[in-house]
Amino acid sequence: MNTFMRWAGFVVVLFIAAPLVIVVPMSFSNASSLQFPPPGYWFGYYRAYFTNTDWLIPTWNSILIATATTILTMALVVPATFALVRHKFRGKGFADLMMLMPMAVPHIVMAVGYYSYFGDLGLVHSHLGVILAHTCLSVPIAFLVLSANLKGFDRNLERAALSLGASPAKTFLHVTLPILRPGLVISSLFAFIQSFDETVVAIFISGRDAETLPRKMFDSIRQEADPVIAVISTLLFFVVLIGIAAPYFASALRSRAPKPSRPAGAH
Amino acid sequence: MTNYLQLSNITKTYGHFTALDDVSLSVDKGEFVTFLGPSGSGKTTTLMIIAGFEKASGGKVEIGGRSISGLAPHERNIGIVFQNYALFPHKTAVENVYFPLQMRGVSRSQGLRQAEDMLFLVGLKGFGHRHPKELSGGQQQRVALARALVFEPSLLLLDEPLGALDKNLREQMQIEIKRIQRSLGVTTIFVTHDQSEAMSMSDRIVVFEKGRIEQVAPPLDIYHRPQTSFVAAFIGESNLIPAIITSGAGKTAENPTLGAFQYAGEDALADGQKVTLLIRPEHIKLSRSPIEGRKNVRMIVETIVNYGDNALVIGRAGDIPMRVRVLGADVVIIKEGEECWISWAPDAVFVITK
Repeated sequence: MNTFMRWAGFVVVLFIAAPLVIVVPMSFSNASSLQFPPPGYWFGYYRAYFTNTDWLIPTWNSILIATATTILTMALVVPATFALVRHKFRGKGFADLMMLMPMAVPHIVMAVGYYSYFGDLGLVHSHLGVILAHTCLSVPIAFLVLSANLKGFDRNLERAALSLGASPAKTFLHVTLPILRPGLVISSLFAFIQSFDETVVAIFISGRDAETLPRKMFDSIRQEADPVIAVISTLLFFVVLIGIAAPYFASALRSRAPKPSRPAGAH
Repeated sequence: MTNYLQLSNITKTYGHFTALDDVSLSVDKGEFVTFLGPSGSGKTTTLMIIAGFEKASGGKVEIGGRSISGLAPHERNIGIVFQNYALFPHKTAVENVYFPLQMRGVSRSQGLRQAEDMLFLVGLKGFGHRHPKELSGGQQQRVALARALVFEPSLLLLDEPLGALDKNLREQMQIEIKRIQRSLGVTTIFVTHDQSEAMSMSDRIVVFEKGRIEQVAPPLDIYHRPQTSFVAAFIGESNLIPAIITSGAGKTAENPTLGAFQYAGEDALADGQKVTLLIRPEHIKLSRSPIEGRKNVRMIVETIVNYGDNALVIGRAGDIPMRVRVLGADVVIIKEGEECWISWAPDAVFVITK
């Protein structure tokens, strides 16, 4: 039974992970469209990606939009999280629900909504429109991560800082903020990835001018199945992999650093 | 010098619930005062009001004749050690201790030197570069103490600081805290629900119950002369026997089951007054036959709890449960289920009128 379960687990993992890895050899393929296994290997599509403005402009748009979305999201989420986690007020339950609503509503529904609503406001086909729509989608994710962090925050630390003579502002700056930093970093990262990843809303409202990378990839796969898509997928895959692995390596290096020996006598 | 810390008629209500009811107390400069009481008795609320984290519904707090009720916590210059220490996890031990100096504008080089000196005083020389998670519970405790003392606070508040430590370490820290407090002469309020801590450390104990102060007195007075039956029951082991004064002049009281009692001390009690008689278990003697010159009562032994050097004999005299503390050797003469005599001298009986 145990062996069977282990094999079953292995097969499931393989099935799930295979599509993630399959794009890597495909990105080096010399076939004229997406094909697996590749008939031969070259770097041609990498060169194509890094020299073609048709790909570089959407990449730049995506980075710009995701960065702006992250900043706007955090500017909204940090104060909102403090208010919702630490204070009781009338309508708190409703406010909690509204914060999480964008996550429950299907993206396609939101996309149609933005398409007609932003159309009237003249925000369709603009960077600002995509940023606003993406912020709305990023807020619940950033809020979930940060509120979990803030709930676990020991408020005695702030009380201690106050009793030691730190004003509320200095307490926030010297104690609250540094201790919450990992939570802030992770929630910003999630907000960024959410925007960078988002396709449905982008297809509806980004248009030609604010075309994002996922939208361009979607158009490309429909029209020509350009293997450059495999290149981009591979690059993104490794960027994310490095992003996730970096903290582990950093902490592994830190814990291997020699510790000063323990002085005797004191308890 | 007297009345350094003055609490006047402090009241705290949450909606219809009264957490503190007219609490008044004065503490001398350099005194070590313990707030003792069960959880929910108001001791921590009082501490939080002194620290400024809770706002009193009424009354005022003064230090050195100056009201601090209007000051924010960071303006009060009060050092606090929390039960979970609340050390800043992102700072090393010495940076933690330097923090209050940093907030007071002391330069980094001088502040760190002062912080190192303070760590030396609490017995943590050479541990300054460590982060809190690299220190044991007892060491974290010492860092928290150093941090709360380094800026020469006008008052030191300790909120159940020993609760998280194991028994041996707790006893060691009791002695340490007392030593450090004496050497700096800082006025200290210590909150605990542990009576042995209160007994061994305090100049005076304040017993809290249901948001009120039951009694304020030095430890031995609290033990030997409790003013209310709550204090008698809460501090140490006790036998509490309801009785009626039969002769105030003759110092005798009567319990329907145990008969007439002689008691000592307290006079000017009116005949017919209802009182509670306190007899500590260690003042009762256990024997095979009655002993002359003492009040003798028959007791059926129900349980014997052996502690090695002593034992607690729990039994019943008529319908009244009795506890007798005996030295190890005396237990040999008695077994569970047997009947024996217990006796006490008149001066072992203390009368509680409340």
